[in-house]
Formats: sequence, structure tokens, C-alpha cells
Amino acid sequence: MKAPVFEYAAPQSVEEALSLLGACQGESKIIAGGQSLMPLLNMRLARPDLLVDIGRIAGLDYIRDADGGLAIGAMTRQSDIERSALVAQRQPMLAAGTRFIAHPQIRNRGTIGGSISHADPAAVYPALAVALDMQIEVAGPAGHRSVDAADFFITYLTTALEPDEILVELRLPGFPPRAGWSFKEVSRRHGDFALAGVAATMEVDSSGVCSFARIVLFGVAAVPLRVEAAEQLLLGSKVEQSLFEEAGAMTSDTLDEPLSDIHASADYRRHLAGVLTRRALAEAAGRAA
Amino acid sequence: MAVDIPKSFAGLPATETKWVGRGVNRVEDPGLLTGRTEFVDNLVKPGMVHCAILRSPYAHARVISIDASKAEQLPGVVAVVSGEDARRWSNPAQTMPEGWGCYCLVVDKARFVGEPVAAVAAVNRYVAEDALELIDVEYEPLPVVAEAAAAAEAGGPLIFEDKPSNVMYQRVFNWGDVDAALARADHVFSESFRWHRLGANPMETFGVIAEWNPVDQSAVFQGSFQSQSHMGLGRAAVLGLPSHKVKMISQPHGGSFGGKGGFRGCDIAVLLSRKCGGRPVKYIEDRMEYLLAGASQAWDRHYQASLAVDNDGKVLALDVKLLDDLGATAEGFGAVSAAKPLAAFTGPYAIEVARYDLTLVATNKLPASPYRGMGPPPHNFVIEQLMDIAARELGLDAAEIRRRNYIPPEAFPYTIASGNEYDSGRYEAALDKVLEMSDYAGLRAEQARAREQGRYLGIGIASTIEPGVFDWNAYAIVGLPSTGVPEGVSVGIDILGKIYVKVGFSLEGQGQYTLACQLLADYFGVDISDIAVVYQDSHSAPPHFGPGGSRLGVAMTGAILGAAQLLKEKLIAMAAALMQTDAANLRMLDGMIGIEGVPEAQMHSAQVAATMLARSDLLPPGMDPNPECTYVWTAPGRTPADEEGRAKSYLTAANACHVVCVEVDPDTAMVEILSYYIADDCGTRLNPATVEGMTQGGVAQGVGAALLEEYVYDEEGQLLTSTFMDYLLPTINEVPMTQKAALVTPSPFTPLGAKGVGEGAIHTTPAAIMCAINDALAPLGVRAREVPASPNRLWKLMQEAKAG
Amino acid sequence: MTMQQVVKVTVNGVSYERNVEVRLTLADFLRVELGLTGTHVGCEHGVCGACTVLMNGRSVRSCLMLAVQADGAEIMTVEGLADDGRLHPIQQAFMEEHGLQCGFCTPGFLMAVYELLGSNPDPSDEEIRESLGGQICRCTGYQSIMRSVKSAAAKLAGARV
Ligand SMILES: Cc1cc2nc3c(=O)[nH]c(=O)nc-3n(C[C@H](O)[C@H](O)[C@H](O)COP(=O)(O)OP(=O)(O)OC[C@H]3O[C@@H](n4cnc5c(N)ncnc54)[C@H](O)[C@@H]3O)c2cc1C
Ligand code: FES
Ligand code: FES
Repeated sequence: MKAPVFEYAAPQSVEEALSLLGACQGESKIIAGGQSLMPLLNMRLARPDLLVDIGRIAGLDYIRDADGGLAIGAMTRQSDIERSALVAQRQPMLAAGTRFIAHPQIRNRGTIGGSISHADPAAVYPALAVALDMQIEVAGPAGHRSVDAADFFITYLTTALEPDEILVELRLPGFPPRAGWSFKEVSRRHGDFALAGVAATMEVDSSGVCSFARIVLFGVAAVPLRVEAAEQLLLGSKVEQSLFEEAGAMTSDTLDEPLSDIHASADYRRHLAGVLTRRALAEAAGRAA
Repeated sequence: MAVDIPKSFAGLPATETKWVGRGVNRVEDPGLLTGRTEFVDNLVKPGMVHCAILRSPYAHARVISIDASKAEQLPGVVAVVSGEDARRWSNPAQTMPEGWGCYCLVVDKARFVGEPVAAVAAVNRYVAEDALELIDVEYEPLPVVAEAAAAAEAGGPLIFEDKPSNVMYQRVFNWGDVDAALARADHVFSESFRWHRLGANPMETFGVIAEWNPVDQSAVFQGSFQSQSHMGLGRAAVLGLPSHKVKMISQPHGGSFGGKGGFRGCDIAVLLSRKCGGRPVKYIEDRMEYLLAGASQAWDRHYQASLAVDNDGKVLALDVKLLDDLGATAEGFGAVSAAKPLAAFTGPYAIEVARYDLTLVATNKLPASPYRGMGPPPHNFVIEQLMDIAARELGLDAAEIRRRNYIPPEAFPYTIASGNEYDSGRYEAALDKVLEMSDYAGLRAEQARAREQGRYLGIGIASTIEPGVFDWNAYAIVGLPSTGVPEGVSVGIDILGKIYVKVGFSLEGQGQYTLACQLLADYFGVDISDIAVVYQDSHSAPPHFGPGGSRLGVAMTGAILGAAQLLKEKLIAMAAALMQTDAANLRMLDGMIGIEGVPEAQMHSAQVAATMLARSDLLPPGMDPNPECTYVWTAPGRTPADEEGRAKSYLTAANACHVVCVEVDPDTAMVEILSYYIADDCGTRLNPATVEGMTQGGVAQGVGAALLEEYVYDEEGQLLTSTFMDYLLPTINEVPMTQKAALVTPSPFTPLGAKGVGEGAIHTTPAAIMCAINDALAPLGVRAREVPASPNRLWKLMQEAKAG
Repeated sequence: MTMQQVVKVTVNGVSYERNVEVRLTLADFLRVELGLTGTHVGCEHGVCGACTVLMNGRSVRSCLMLAVQADGAEIMTVEGLADDGRLHPIQQAFMEEHGLQCGFCTPGFLMAVYELLGSNPDPSDEEIRESLGGQICRCTGYQSIMRSVKSAAAKLAGARV
């Protein structure tokens, strides 16, 4: 398990990185935290001609206030997000979800940009990107563009990023102060990729009626999946257990071909998606002020 | 000369034991804790090159051609070998059953995914792997045998074309008239069970540095060998060398659990060394190679079993039919694992009639290897599920049915139906202890309350035997007929009074070096730091086997006490000459040799030893001047197998009773272990901390077996679990912190009364957890019969039960 | 762009400079180039934790990093714990509580515990589990490791007052 031969460059700026990527004749790959890419290199499943290390670019590692929301640099380590007071305050679900990513030693290296670029269907951040309406800021040869998380994930390990583009920043609105949230997953062991997971947010008005709902599943399909039918069901309804059950059942029903692998069949995943949705909605409603 | 080995601490020449029997700090630890211990991959030798192996991507395929010319030309590559070299310089592996082995590199066809096809030696492993990509192999895929049941049927593709079928072995052992017992019994409970492949997975994979000496046509292997001499004999046979031309040097290894086998790794590395003129070749198996093609997989079993029980819950007969999938060849001792259950076939229960209908088949999967426990854990799982099924049907409590069937303490030594003799035990006392510790009644009450709230709590009880101190005759039924597994050590005192003991095994994790020091410190009345354990290679050490089959603690204790006693006698003879008295007047106590009743007539044993070395003129006639003695211990009283395979095989029978409480989430089917209690009895505890560690380590592996670990193959024989992302080892989050209590029922047969305990809870934990899961799910009418009980499997069972 | 590069690091307080292939992992760099073989390799894909070292004070998998990525960093490995053979309190605790058997996983555990106790001198069981959940030990069953961490915490607290 030793990586194949490749060339390596550690640019100092995004511009330099872009020109390296642009100039590369063969296949180029960005390396950020390396926590997904390095296993692939060691197994020789990834075979880039050029590896562009964006870890030495100054100013890609930050968590900042942005109009009451957050701006997070792509190279920000997952463990910094986990520990950030600002994140805990502005986006508590982002902090909570981070703890479901692997283990501290991996979060110390893994980056938010890497995780979202990698787009593992069972990963945490892609789901949170969709659930929290992240704006994905991308630098490319033709300048910057901004992609809605909803449009970013195309299929298994494939995103809207072009090979010569770099994800540079994630922008998140602030979490609505009265909203509730819940992040749940089932995995074989603590820290493993989810067999199925859900990130849910909800707002409930003073009369106990749901005024906003967002349900995003992960681990069940090639990309994070919004369950709009169940969201519609919740909107305008009085939040109570029977509603969550109905939404859970509807969630299961909307999944026509969930992923299937040695750890979980499609049917089991479909079922888990419903169970987790039901539980998450109850928790989110409980947290909504 | 057989020596009378003390059966208890009282027999040691010590006023009181200060070291043995206590959980002292281990002598192994400072080196391990500071990263100084020399695992094989730490070693660098002059001229050393690195091996990488090209492996078959097909489960069954003829190799039409191999072209390695491009690889040979890659800068940094020193040698390439393939089947041609294997055929030229080696023999196929010898196996049990006979004739199911092949060359270390494919010569005709590949029989499993990952089978070595060619190998490269290069300046480093990176370049060696680069070179593998330049080797062109043309394959002709053949139909794959991926299922045991299909393999057993006639007419399918043959894995060994010189054999009439894929059945490696088939035999029925009848111990009493099982059919009559089944016909006569009030109840017969039958069920089928499936135990999926799992395996050892020590944190260090296998590694070796092989060096061929072209001048005298000999080979030296330095690596992580569980049993160096055994491994050496195998290498000699494969290389066609006389045994004294193969030297094995065992480095400390990072765990083994039966799985530190690297037969092909050794053989391929030495072929490479030969091909490049004798340069040392290092081969370090990587984790994916280990999972795919190492000594990593064991126990792929399909059971059909019945228990004949009378109305009182007394078991009359046990009938077990096993179809065991050994994979493509028999090179990995998989058959031994199917034979070992004879050593404790009926567990702790007095079941006089039994039958074992055993079929071993070949499929296009990785050849099965040993794993801690060596076969009984699945068998115990089957027995304990049947006991619970019987209890449930008869309306008996799980504890009660076991209580009614235990072999009573007064019946020992007790010969079980399958022929082995258990030395001693108090099984009911162990049960009572664990019931008390767990507040079993309280647990049951909690379970009842939980059920009212719609929660599924389950309590599992399992009682098992751990056969300890193996003998070859335990495996007689699959072709190992001899008796006597040696463990030899030499104990001596140097000229400045420090004691050393030479042993033929290396560090593996069980703390054997510490135990050696404890024994000798007490024997000679010195501090543990005054003892050195000296590792010796296969050519230098006295006859030895090393760890395996829960034997080394007991066997080494026998060897050390034997050698110490011979040394004591020698020192006394010398002291008698010096003190001008008769040896019969002298005795040694706490290291002082003196005339009984004359306190001033004393010499320290170290002083006597130094005098032997420094003043040969004072030696009594006929005595050699070396204060060192060697003793080779073998288990006493072992018998050859009779026509039904019955033998006194394993010397000791440790026992354990576990109580575990689990909760199954009915929605997600996830299992959580809420509490875990253990009462176990391994006779005298030579080092209680070590015993505790073995037990807890066995619990962890048992949790893995019951809930997580499984090698999954698809219908093309492709392994789907070739990384640690898919082959799931338990972590600190999955393993329960257990409460443990010890009973001490010494063995009447062994040194100091100790019993083998190295395998520990792997015998019990899978059974206990499965009992608990089934107890939890009983109200749903669900019976889990497959191990591991993954959430997906449990969920499916619950769905089926709901559907009716 | 290069296939070979100079890497300068400080490991356990000692500076090293080596010209290496860029594809070399940090684990191989430490073990092969620097001869610091106390850091072990158990899986090379990030799951077992045997290769864990501290980089700039944080625990990382040395099998999931290129040596060139560590250029300029301060690394601490198991060899940096004991002082002239005197065991560090964490090592001492592991010895006394039998927190190891074969010892192959141990260097990784020690480094993870070092980081944990550095930021959290009195961790709860839950916090210990959380920080060691990615370190696999096949021998001990973790109970003695749990005891070792608590004992180490107590020893370090004792050393501080
Ligand atoms: C044992 C283990 C368990 C894990 N468990 C989980 C888990 O349970 N849940 C979970 O969510 N994750 C898990 N992960 C993945 C981990 O979170 C990774 O850190 C993450 O997926 C990738 O982030 P990285 O910074 O390490 O990216 P890298 O590995 O460096 O890169 C990943 C991919 O993204 C590309 N890339 C990286 N950064 C950028 C960028 N800025 N712009 C464009 N492309 C970029 C790379 O080219 C590469 O293709 C696990 C990893 C391991 C090793
Ligand atoms: S070797 Fe790095 S995590 Fe296993
Ligand atoms: S002590 Fe052997 S793996 Fe942990």
C-alpha cells in the first residue's frame, strides 16, 4: 500500500494553485487534509500526475462572522470547527454534526472544503451543506463563482467543481434563533460513515405550528437528499408525534432506490431513513423555541 | 529424566511467594512503551531489498502467461519471481488433510482472489509496487465455487482437478447411540446456525526478512513467527531442505491470536533472495494483503444441530452436523479448527451421548487459518443457543437449565463423550458467582419493566470450557497422530549471580517473559530485576513450540520449574562438596543452600554457582562446571486417539460463566451492551493481571465476532471487506467494561495447578451476546441464528417476524 | 513541481533534513528515513491509529500525510516521551495498569492520550472514549487502557501541584 509516483507542488496562493492546475497536462488532484485522498493514494486507487497541496496557501483557514452568518475557509480543519465558539453560537448543528466525523485524529487534519469536495454520499458535511443552505465559493480560471449547495452535489463523489477549480470558502447564514435542529445517524461503530443519517431543522410558531422544515438525508443516496414531500407535510401542521411518524413514513416511501452495500440493504436503509427522520423531527421540534 | 513439578505454590523453595501469583509490572513493557522493541519491520540489514507481491484478481483462473520483462527493467528492481521459480526451487505446501496444498506462487491456476502470482524485490516497497504494475499476466477465468453447499455437491467445477470432488474430508463420529437417544427423548430441539468468516487481525501484520545462503544452500528467516520451530519445519519441507539448513529467528510481534502465519510470505521472500544471489529480502504484508490473502480468515461454518432433552431439562444427547468451508486449500490448518471441538464437545455439561458429522469443503475463497480459540467458539455458540431454545420451550430459566446439566464437582477428572478428560471445575459455583455479581434477579426485574415500556432488553448466560495446553493428538482425526508438544528452557546463573532463562519464543503480548521472571525470582529468592529472559532462535533453543492452544503459561511454567529444580539439585550437589556434607542434608530455601537446622552452614545459590564457574578444581567428580540446566516439559498422560477419535488431548479445562445484558433498538436493530459480568476459573492464577487482560481481550474479540466482524464474499469469490472500513474491529466504544470475579479450582495435573487461559473469553462472549440478543427478541418471536448479528440481519428477522 | 523534495522537520526536539520522494508518507519518513521506528503502521488507510503522532501539538495519522506536508512542522513521537529512560507519567500509568499486551498499538494510544490530557486534564469516561475511539487495540479489550488514562491523569495532576 504505497502511493504511485506523482509530482507535487505546494503553491502559496490560490492564483498560483489555479495556474498549476490549469497548466497540468495529465490528471491533477488537490490535496487538502488528505484524510480521504491519502487512503486512495496508498491503495493506488487515485493516480494523479500532479498533486497540488493547498495546505500552504495563507488565508484559507478561518472561521469568520459574515453578516450574522459564517464564512469558513476551505482549509479549516474539522476539529477547529468542532471547537469554535462562533460556530457553536451561529450554527450549533454544524458543531454537533462535526463530532460524527470519524475520530479526533482525523478531524485534526480533515478540512471542511475537502469533505465537501470529496462528496462521499455518507459524509456529514455535504448533508449539512444542503441542510444549512451553504454557499460554496469556488475559484477558477475565469474567476470566482458561487454555487448553492443544492446544486453542488451531482452524484457519488462528483460535484459541480471542475478539475481546474478550487473550493475556497463556505458561507452560511446564521441559524434562525428560534429554530430547532437535529442531527442523527446510524453507523456500525461510533465514528464510522453513516448507514443512514438525517440533518433536520424546523421552526415552530407560537401556536405550535411548523413554519419551516428542512430534512436532508445522507448515506442513503448518491448525494445528500432533501425530502421535500415530508417538508411540505410538516409546513402548516401542528407539531406532534403523529406528524413526525407520518413524515418518517413518507420519507421512507419517497426513497425508491436507496444505496445498498454489505452493511445495509436498500430496504434497511429506507427503513432507517424513516426512523431517523421521525426521531430527528421530534428532537428538532423540541429544540425549536 | 522426568522431574516432579510442584502442583502448588507451597511446593516452591520459598518461604512465601513474592512474585508469582501477583500482578507485577511486566518486564516487557518499558521497551514497548518507549518504542524500542524490535518488531520485524524495524530491522534493516545490509543489502536488504523489499518484496511486493502480485496477486490474482480472479477467484479461479488459469494463468496462461506471465511477462515480467518490463518490471525487470524498472530501475531499482532486483529480482522477479513467478510460478516457474516456485516449481524449480520449492514444493507444494504439505497439508492436513493431505494433498490439498499448492506452490507459494501460482504454477497452473489461481484458486482464490489474492493468491500470489508473482513477486518483485526492489530497493524499496514503493518501487516494488511500481514494478508489479508492469507485470503482464494473462488469465483464463474458470467457473467459481463460492458457496460451501455448492462445493459439496458433485458435478461442479473442481478446485483440485486431481481430486474426485471438493470435499476435503468427511466423517461421522458417534459417541454412544445418538439416534436412540433422540428417539427416546421427551423433546428434541433442532436448529440450523451460520457462523460467518472472521479472523485474527493482530495490529501488526505478518512480516519476514528472508536470506538465502547460496554457498551452503541454507535459509534464515527473521520475522514474526508464533511458533518458530513449527514454522521452520514447514519451510524446510517446502524448500526441500534438511531441517538444520533452515533457521528461524522470531522477533517480538504485535499480536498473533493464532493468525501470525506467513507461510507463503516466507517462501516467496526466500525465492526472491535466492534469485538475487542471497540478498536479504524483507516482506511486510500490508493490511489489505492481510485481509485479502493473509492468515486472516477462520471458521466459515454451517451448522445443523439437535439437543435431546427430557422433561426435566436434562440433556441426553447432542447431535452436531458441521459443513465447514476451508477455502481453496488446506494450507492454513483450517481442518484443525474443526477437530478441536472434540476437546470440549459437550461444553461444561454432562451429556453422555453425542455425534459430530463433519464435512470440510474447498471453495474459491482464501484458505482458512487458525484464530484464537481454534474452532470451539462457534461450537459453543451452537450449544448455548440450543440450551436456551430448550429452556424457553420447557419454561425453564436459562440459568436453571444449565445448572441441571453441569458436570458436578465430584465427578472430576471427568471424561467427556468425545474422549477428552477435564481436570477439575466447579461450574455451578461459577454460575452462582456471576448470578450474584450481576444481581441476576434484579436484571430480570429490570427486563420485565423495560418490556412493559416497549424496550427490548435481553439477558444472556453462557457457560463454556476453554481447553488448555494442547497436544497434537487433539487433531488426530484430521491427521496429526502424535502426542507430546515440547516446551524446553534452560535456566542458569552467571558468574555474578544473575539468573537467565533461555526460551524459544518471542514476545507476543501475553506477558510470558514476565511470568518466567516471576517464577525464577521466587524460586531463587531474588528480585525480578535479577532475571534476564534470553530469546533463542530455532537452532539454539531447547525443543519448543511456543504460544498456541492456551498452552504456554502452563507449559513454560513446567519447563522453568523443571529446569530450576535440576539446577537446584546441581547446586546442592556442588554445595555438598564444598561444605563436605551429604547432599541429602542440604536444602535450598529463598535461594540459600544450607544444612537443615544449622543456620550458620549456608551458602547463597549464586555463590555456589560462581564457585562452579571459577573453581573447576573444587567440582565434585563427574560434574560439569556449567550452572545451567535444561528441561523440556510435555503434557503428561496424553493418549493416542481411538477409532472414534477419542483421546485425552488438552490437559486443562478452564471454565467461565458470563452474564450479559443487551438492549436491541427495535427500530434500528442496533444492539447495545448495557452490562457484562464474568466469573471464570482457570485454576491457580500465576499472574492475575495477565489473566484479566486475556479475559478482557477475549471479550473484545467476542464482541467483534457477535456483532461486527465478517469477511464477505460475492458470488464471484471477490472479497468485499478488504479494508478496515469494511472489516469492522471493535473499538473502545463497542467493548463493555466488564465486572470480573475469579474462582480458583487448581488443576491436579499441572505445574502449580494453573490452567491454560490465553484464549479467554473468545470462547464465551459470542455465545453470551447471541443468547442475550435472542432473549431480547423472544417476545417478537425472533430467533437470530447467524453470527455476526449485524443490525441489517436483525432488522430483517424482525421484519419477517412482523410479516408472520 | 517536483518528485523529490527536501523536508525539514523537528522531531522530539531534534532537527532533521532529508531529500525524499514526495510520495513518501510521514510514517515511512519517520521510520525509514529517520530510523524512528517507535511509530508503528497497522493499516495505512487511517483506521487503526497505530501510526498516530503529534504534529504541532495535534494528533494526526502519519500514514495519511505525506512527509512533504510536514515540512517545517514540529513532530512528537513515542520516542519523545521518556526522558533518558525515565518513563513519562502516561507510560508509567500504562505499565502499572497493564494498558498494553503486544504493545504494537501502544505508541499511537500514548500520543492520543498525550494530546487528550494536554487539553483536558481530568477527562470523563465519555471523553476518553471519544478521543480514543479511532485507536484500535486488538489485545487488551480497552478496559486496562481506560484505567491507564485515568491513572495517567491523576499522576499528571499530582505532578502539577
Ligand atoms: C478512517 C476514516 C473515517 C472517516 N469517517 C468519516 C465519517 O464518518 N464521516 C465523514 O463525513 N467523513 C469521514 N471521513 C472522511 C474525512 O472527513 C475527510 O477528512 C474528508 O472526507 C476529506 O477532507 P480532507 O480535507 O481530508 O480532503 P482530502 O482527502 O485532501 O481531499 C478529498 C478530495 O477532495 C478534493 N479537494 C480537497 N479540498 C479541495 C478544495 N478545496 N477544492 C477542490 N477540491 C478539493 C481532493 O482533490 C480529493 O479528491 C473519514 C476518514 C477516515 C480516514
Ligand atoms: S497505520 Fe495509520 S491509521 Fe493505521
Ligand atoms: S496491545 Fe496489542 S494491539 Fe494493543
